[in-house]
Amino acid sequence: MNDMRLEQAVTSEEIKIAARDVQVFYGDTHAIKDVGIDILDKTVTAFIGPSGCGKSTFLRTLNRMNDTIDVCRVEGSITLDGEDIYDKRVDPVQLRARVGMVFQKPNPFPKSIYDNVAYGPKIHGLTRSKAELDEIVESSLRKAALWNEVKDRLHAPGTGLSGGQQQRLCIARAVATSPEVLLMDEPCSALDPIATAQVEELIDELRAQFSVVIVTHSMQQAARVSQRTAFFHLGNLVEFGETSQIFTNPTDPRTESYITGRIG
Amino acid sequence: MHHEHIMSAFDRDLEAIQAHLMRLGGLAEQALRDAMTALEASDAELATQVRAGDKALDQLEELIYDESAKLIALRAPAAKDMRLVLGAIKVAGSLERIGDYAKNIAKRSIVLSSGDQIGSAIGTLRRMSRHVETMLHDVLDAYVRLDVAAAHEIRARDEDVDQIYNSLFRMLLTHMMEDPRTITSAMHLHFIAKNVERMGDHVTTIAEELIYLVEGVRPDERVRADKTSVTPLAQDK
Repeated sequence: MNDMRLEQAVTSEEIKIAARDVQVFYGDTHAIKDVGIDILDKTVTAFIGPSGCGKSTFLRTLNRMNDTIDVCRVEGSITLDGEDIYDKRVDPVQLRARVGMVFQKPNPFPKSIYDNVAYGPKIHGLTRSKAELDEIVESSLRKAALWNEVKDRLHAPGTGLSGGQQQRLCIARAVATSPEVLLMDEPCSALDPIATAQVEELIDELRAQFSVVIVTHSMQQAARVSQRTAFFHLGNLVEFGETSQIFTNPTDPRTESYITGRIG
Repeated sequence: MHHEHIMSAFDRDLEAIQAHLMRLGGLAEQALRDAMTALEASDAELATQVRAGDKALDQLEELIYDESAKLIALRAPAAKDMRLVLGAIKVAGSLERIGDYAKNIAKRSIVLSSGDQIGSAIGTLRRMSRHVETMLHDVLDAYVRLDVAAAHEIRARDEDVDQIYNSLFRMLLTHMMEDPRTITSAMHLHFIAKNVERMGDHVTTIAEELIYLVEGVRPDERVRADKTSVTPLAQDK
């Protein structure tokens, strides 16, 4: 019967990131409470929930983006391939090359399209020659479905692209360091429906190579692109399961309320 | 848990579909009742009315289908809302079929009024149809109340319908073997019985849809008590 399903829901069972008993505090505010979750390899995991539920905060713990906030404190354990990412020996810059991030608003560097993509591989010393770097830039732009649109103007400023193109440029930039996990914080909220569809198509393609975690306010987007969905509410992880199950027959009444457009 | 959508228009759309469905249910009940009365009383006028009235059921089913399609396209329902819309489409289909069977009974009642009566067949048919009528009434009632316990109970009642059908089938078979002149009437009566039996199955489908709507999972396969498909033609005496 399984081969008659529209799409193989989850193809990988390999755990990429394992979070256990994670607590996040902003000063006295307890923002994330006892969250435990397994992010599978080669799978798109969506985090949904109302504003302020902690989904973005939790996403940012996965590559230590919260380190930059002084009052923020993270407890519990988060491992990447079994290694604790909060270990003192882990260099957060190296970690973020393995766990890349794309933000809500496209934020290309005020540099050329080429340099935007080449930046990561250069600072991480991933290439030995100009030819190799050219190759990474091209393949990253191709993966981000942007190559055909920009191949003739690689040295034009990245900020001159349209919003949708800028966002795909940021994805190309994140992909250039060959990450193992890509975190996306509402990557389409500033894009029109066509650019959104292109980014969603891209997410689906990227899943073949690595694991993607996406925070989105659009439940339809979560339903379209992810294989697994986690619902956050008031800092708790309320429900986590296969996306098709969450959207057809959620277990928790709070999930049901939220996804059907009733107040959560 | 809150029961109302943030968008109140969403609630209104869902309620409209449910209201159409209940109207369709009422029409189906009426059609069954009238068709059986027409049969019993040899009332050709009432039979003609039932046949003409079937158009209203067809139109209502189409309306429910169109409204559901619109709701899916415009509001992207999820979870229970989605099951409610899918259920409405399926239940509307079942009710429309019940209407078709009633129409067919009405048609045959006109032919039968000129033929001979066969034993207690009409009386047995009446008993069977009353049973299905009550089941239909109860399942529509349970649907409004989202009463899963009632749905399970109604689903189980279909076995009685199947049993009455089995005995009627045997009886008609006996009459036809003993006196071939009864074959025309007996065949019509048999088709009527089969129609009522099929209506019972549709009521069962509605009960199952109700269980799916509330619980999100379908009940286990029901064991069918209709054994006529394996009844031998001539029984050993």
